[in-house]
Amino acid sequence: MAAPMADDAALAARLAARDAQALREVIARHAGALNRIAYRMVGDAHEAEDIVQEACLRLWDHAPRLAQRHPAGTPAGAALRLSGWLKRVVTNLAIDRLRAGRRISGEEVPERADEAPLADSRIEVEQRDGATRALVLALPERQRAAIVLTYYEELPNAEAAEAMDMNIKAFESLLHRARASLRQAFAAQGEAQ
Amino acid sequence: MSPAEHDDGAPIAPGSPLARALDGFVAPDLPAGFADKVLAATATRPAPLPELRRTGSTGTVRGWRLGRRIAIGVVGFSALATAAAATGLLERVGLPVPSASKVWASITGDEPASKPAEAAAAVAAVPVDPAPAAFAPVRIEGPIDTPEELGEAFRRIDEVRKGRSEMRRQLLDQRITREKERRAAAGLPLPTPEEEARIRQRLEEARLRREGVLSERIEARREELRERVESGEALTREDIVRPIREEQRSLQQRQQLERLRRMSPEQRREAVRRLPPEERRALMEAWQQRRAQRLGREAPAGTSPVETGPQSAPEGTAEPDPSRTGTAEAEPPR
Repeated sequence: MAAPMADDAALAARLAARDAQALREVIARHAGALNRIAYRMVGDAHEAEDIVQEACLRLWDHAPRLAQRHPAGTPAGAALRLSGWLKRVVTNLAIDRLRAGRRISGEEVPERADEAPLADSRIEVEQRDGATRALVLALPERQRAAIVLTYYEELPNAEAAEAMDMNIKAFESLLHRARASLRQAFAAQGEAQ
Repeated sequence: MSPAEHDDGAPIAPGSPLARALDGFVAPDLPAGFADKVLAATATRPAPLPELRRTGSTGTVRGWRLGRRIAIGVVGFSALATAAAATGLLERVGLPVPSASKVWASITGDEPASKPAEAAAAVAAVPVDPAPAAFAPVRIEGPIDTPEELGEAFRRIDEVRKGRSEMRRQLLDQRITREKERRAAAGLPLPTPEEEARIRQRLEEARLRREGVLSERIEARREELRERVESGEALTREDIVRPIREEQRSLQQRQQLERLRRMSPEQRREAVRRLPPEERRALMEAWQQRRAQRLGREAPAGTSPVETGPQSAPEGTAEPDPSRTGTAEAEPPR
C-alpha cells in the first residue's frame, strides 16, 4: 500500500506552475502502479499505456484547480493524495474503454457470475493467453476493478471505494460479488481442466 | 474446511489455490521513455476548459437554492393569504380574520379600557360632524297609503335635510376659514370682524331665503301628497324621493357652476369641453334657467332671458349674484 505523500500539495503547485520536472516526478512515483491497474483492467499493454498517459495528462490539466483547492501548507493541502486521484482516473478510463469496446463489439458482460457453459467457452478461447488472465478478464468491469484494486494493489476498501466513486457499503457488496464470481469461474476452470 | 471457504465472497486468502492462480497475472512494465512521451504530449495538449461557474454540488449553492425556494414560497403564500383575507374569502369559508385594531388590542392588552374611550369618542363626534347622517339614504319600503306612514316619511326626510343644512353651514365656515388663512399667508388684508359678521349675515340671509323658498315648494308638494294619500292613493318611494333628488342635483349643479365661475375663461372652456355631453347639456340648461330667473328679476319686462348663446354661457359672463342664485354659500369673504 502506498504511503500518503506529504508533498503532494507542493507537487500539485509545481504542476500548476507548469513545471515539467514535477510531472516527471509524478510519473516516476505513480506510473508503475497505474500501469498495473490499467493492464489488469483492459488486458492489453498498449491500451494500458494509453490510459496511464491520459491520466497523467489530465493531472497536468487539472493541476491549477487542484493547487487552488489544496494549497500547500494547509490542512486541505495535507489531505491531497495524488495517488488516489490518479487511480480513480485510471479506473474510470479503463471502465469507459471496456464499455466502449463492448458497445462496438456488441458483446454483453453479465453482472453476475458467468454460467458454466459461457465460462467454459471463454476459458477455452482464452487458454492461449493464460488461464489466470482469463479468470480476471472474464469478470464484469466493475467487479474486475474491485479485485484489481483490493487484491493486486492491496488498497483498503475505503480507498478502493473512493477510486471507484462509490460509497463503502456499495463497494463491499460489489467486492463480495466479484470474489464469488471469481471463485465460481475458478472452480469452473478447474472442472474444465 | 474453514468458514471462509464456504462463503464465496470471503477475502482471498494468501497462498490459496485461487491466490496462486491470480498471482500469475503479471503486468508488464511501461516502456522506457514513457515519461518523455507524456511530457511531449503536454506541449500539444489544448488548454483545459474553464471551470463551470456553478458546480451545483457544493453545500453553499444548494443551501442558497433551497433558501431562495423557501423565500419564494413564503412570499407567495403570504400574497395569497393577504388576497384571500382582503377579498373576504376566508370569512366566507368560516375562518375569522381579526381586524388590525383587534390584533393590536390583544397585543397591548388594553382592549377593555379602549372600548369606553371609543364609545365616548363616537358620542362626542355625532354633533361635530353630521355629514354621515346627511348622506344616510331615506328608505321607504312598500307603498305609503296612510297619513301616519306619510308623516313618518316626511319626518325622516326632514332629518336628512337638517343634516345637509348643518353640513353646508360647516362647509361655509371651513371655506371662510381657509380663505382667511390664504389671504393671511399671501399678505392680503383680512376683513375686520365687522366686515366678516356682515358677510356672514348676508350669507345666512341668502341661505334662509333659499331654504324658505325651497320649504314652500316642498310644503306645497307635501300638501299635494297628503291629499293623494287621503284620497286613498298609495304612494311609491319615487313619488316622495324625487323632489329630494332634484334638490340634490340642483345643489350639485350650483356647486359646479360656482367652480366654473372661479376659473379663467380658458380653464372654464376646457373644463366644459371635457364634460360628458349629457352632463354638459344639463349644466347649460341649468345655467340658462338660472340666468333667466336673474334677468327676469333685474331686467325690465320684455327682455328675453336667453339672449346669450349657450356656448358662451358659463365663460366669465356667469357672475351670479350670490343673494339671488343661491351660490352665496360658496362665496368666500373678499
